[in-house]
Amino acid sequence: MLKIVFGEIENAIYHPPTYFDNQYEDDWITNPLSIKMIKDIDQSEVVSAHLIQSPVLGPISPREISGGVKTLILMAFDDSGKIFNASSCGDNCAKWIVEIGTGKDLTINLHHVLDFSSAGMFEAYMLNTGKIVRGYEEYLDEAFQIKER
Amino acid sequence: MKGKYHVMVQNKRLRYEFDIKRNITIIRGDSATGKTTLYAMISLAARMGESSGVDIQCDKKCRTLEGPDWKLVLPTLHDHIIFLDEDDHFLKTTEFAGMVKTSDNYFVIITREDLPNLPYSVEEIYGIHAAGKYHDMKRVFNAFYHLYRVEELSEKISPEEVIVEDSNAGYEFFGHVCRARRISCVSAGGKSRLIDALRGSERENVLVIADGASIGPEMNELFQYMKVHSHVRCYLPESFEWLILRSGLIDGNEVKDILQHPQDFIESQEYFSWERFFTNVLIRYTENTYLQYTKHKLNDTYLHDRSVQMISNAMERVLE
Repeated sequence: MLKIVFGEIENAIYHPPTYFDNQYEDDWITNPLSIKMIKDIDQSEVVSAHLIQSPVLGPISPREISGGVKTLILMAFDDSGKIFNASSCGDNCAKWIVEIGTGKDLTINLHHVLDFSSAGMFEAYMLNTGKIVRGYEEYLDEAFQIKER
Repeated sequence: MKGKYHVMVQNKRLRYEFDIKRNITIIRGDSATGKTTLYAMISLAARMGESSGVDIQCDKKCRTLEGPDWKLVLPTLHDHIIFLDEDDHFLKTTEFAGMVKTSDNYFVIITREDLPNLPYSVEEIYGIHAAGKYHDMKRVFNAFYHLYRVEELSEKISPEEVIVEDSNAGYEFFGHVCRARRISCVSAGGKSRLIDALRGSERENVLVIADGASIGPEMNELFQYMKVHSHVRCYLPESFEWLILRSGLIDGNEVKDILQHPQDFIESQEYFSWERFFTNVLIRYTENTYLQYTKHKLNDTYLHDRSVQMISNAMERVLE
């Protein structure tokens, strides 16, 4: 289930892209989920664990994919128990956060109200208030009651 | 620092072009639009100059600022355009805001966080998009676009209630106009309380009036609120004082000149945000006249029919 916590918390990684650069595993990059996310967000093709073809930058390494996708890959595959700051993700990552959260217990940290309006129907447990929200409107209403950012 | 500056940053594959005209500019938006790449290019060029292979063209020096030494470095910089990336925790501290407030530099901040300590304008929140490719088809041209289109936010509705950010002169004026139109008018008691005021409203069509010059930190949440409450609209002039100046009530070509290109008059070191400048101009130009303006208590002259009509016209009749 997707769990969302707003504000400063312990065990959080404030800037996941930097953490990714120093911790990612080759097989994360070639996992079908990563391939789909890199295609969708970055419009780039995974050629191998060490090579990604970007339409703008040309051939790049995994360290040059977008910060949003790096954060998503960490959410999907990192098993260190760290909680990643989803404020490194653009709104175009929201549907992938929901998808990752349906396959496993995923806790994300937010320092702004991420726009989940394009994520379809989803369920999330709001850790600050202990309430389960269903869908964007309920999420937004609950997020507005939480003052931590 | 004051003025508007065109910035061009390019290498063999990418070119970014944009204008910076206020002390604080925010860049945010979707992932993979090139924000971090822009930052990295500026960082390289500032560090290595021509040997970086990155070309920056701007009348002011552009550089990045990061890491634990920022407090030592920032006071040594003057007349720069300084770019900051979201990975630095200090961006949301009051200490950083305090140094921006008195700085003679302009700041371009890449972040999705609201940064409530910084009073940035709705007009200076940008996303980046690929605006095309050059004729050789090798270089992608990236430009800034307004993340919030003010004219769309204020599309006309017939409000049953107006929520005003202000609790002083602006609230008095809008309260007077609303009473004449039998519209409820409430003060939110500050821009950070607008969402609470909206959530507490029981009316169907609600118009929010707030200072566009400093509403930036609230825009993400206001915009999302409007997404699920389509009967809520926002009117975001620079400030109430800007509306009075724009109405023509105050004679003189100087005021017209200021309104046409305020960036050339507003010294960043003196004014944290533009609404403070417009308040200062209005006070200065009405001193010892029948229109003498104070922010805490509205001079009754501004509630006379002619004044109301002229200020309403300057508002493009959003309340009609």
